[in-house]
Amino acid sequence: MTEADGIADQLWDRLSSFVGLSGSPARQADDAVNQPMIRHWCQAVGDANPAYLSDDWTDGGSRLGIVAPPTMLQVWTHHDRRVRPVEVSEDNAEERLARLLQAEGYPSVVATECQQEYVRYLRPGDILTYRSVIDGISQEKKTRLGNGFFITTLVTYTAAPEEVVGRMRFVTFRFRPAASDA
Amino acid sequence: MSARRAVLVGEVLPPEAIPITTTLIVTGAIASRDFYPGHHDRDAAIAAGSRDVFMNVMTTMGLVERFVTGWTGPHVVLESLAVKLGVSNYPGDEMVLNGSVTEVRDDHDEQHVTLQVLGHNSLGAHVTATVHLRLL
Repeated sequence: MTEADGIADQLWDRLSSFVGLSGSPARQADDAVNQPMIRHWCQAVGDANPAYLSDDWTDGGSRLGIVAPPTMLQVWTHHDRRVRPVEVSEDNAEERLARLLQAEGYPSVVATECQQEYVRYLRPGDILTYRSVIDGISQEKKTRLGNGFFITTLVTYTAAPEEVVGRMRFVTFRFRPAASDA
Repeated sequence: MSARRAVLVGEVLPPEAIPITTTLIVTGAIASRDFYPGHHDRDAAIAAGSRDVFMNVMTTMGLVERFVTGWTGPHVVLESLAVKLGVSNYPGDEMVLNGSVTEVRDDHDEQHVTLQVLGHNSLGAHVTATVHLRLL
């Protein structure tokens, strides 16, 4: 084993201790599901579905009035780190993990897999809460982007008070860009 | 029974070519409240090892949703969407979406349908998706 391998193993030992930890404290959305954000989204991706845009649209059965596009699930609890810096607390393993990897020279991140399950469609007025658990971390992998780690997070979305409305399994790759390896 | 036609296994969706522009990437990121600089700031994207700004996963999923529900029409409930991301979507490229029905299950007046969707650009496969939905 080379010295570099030993250092890599030590890092992986530290990373693997994050598995099973709460990814972040429960985070409530800043805003309820709302029509302006739905409209912006539909305009951005070019979706003219009347179920998302027309107040008087009905499916002839259970639905009347707009619902949010299900693929907006992740949008509602997204937050801007500049406005509300994330605290590095014991129950925020996602943030501690990101900062550890940043400090170890893996500053970049891309999403590689995302599975979303929609328990029910969201409507304006729903206030979502995000909860996550770190489900797995890979050994260091070499990809065309660079070397790094695949991190799997399981997210549960609830609408107030405690109704599970969606779930997500999200895999990101945190890496050292190949060009800076030289 | 609703008036919709029955969907069959093996049915192929009309392919759709989507021009990938900086505007699409940036508006998709901002509309999904994703202010990660790599999705709107070219200099930051390059400094992070990317060749340009690149599409975020939420926009990709939104485009897959649009592609599928554009075909089904609005009388549909999306139950799940699973995507694997490959090469990035960069400005100046084009992504072609192809889809087909892989499974159909009839349940009273509703049809449960599984589709596979592939999105390719000039670099290769950008997205491989499995969609479960219910036709009302």
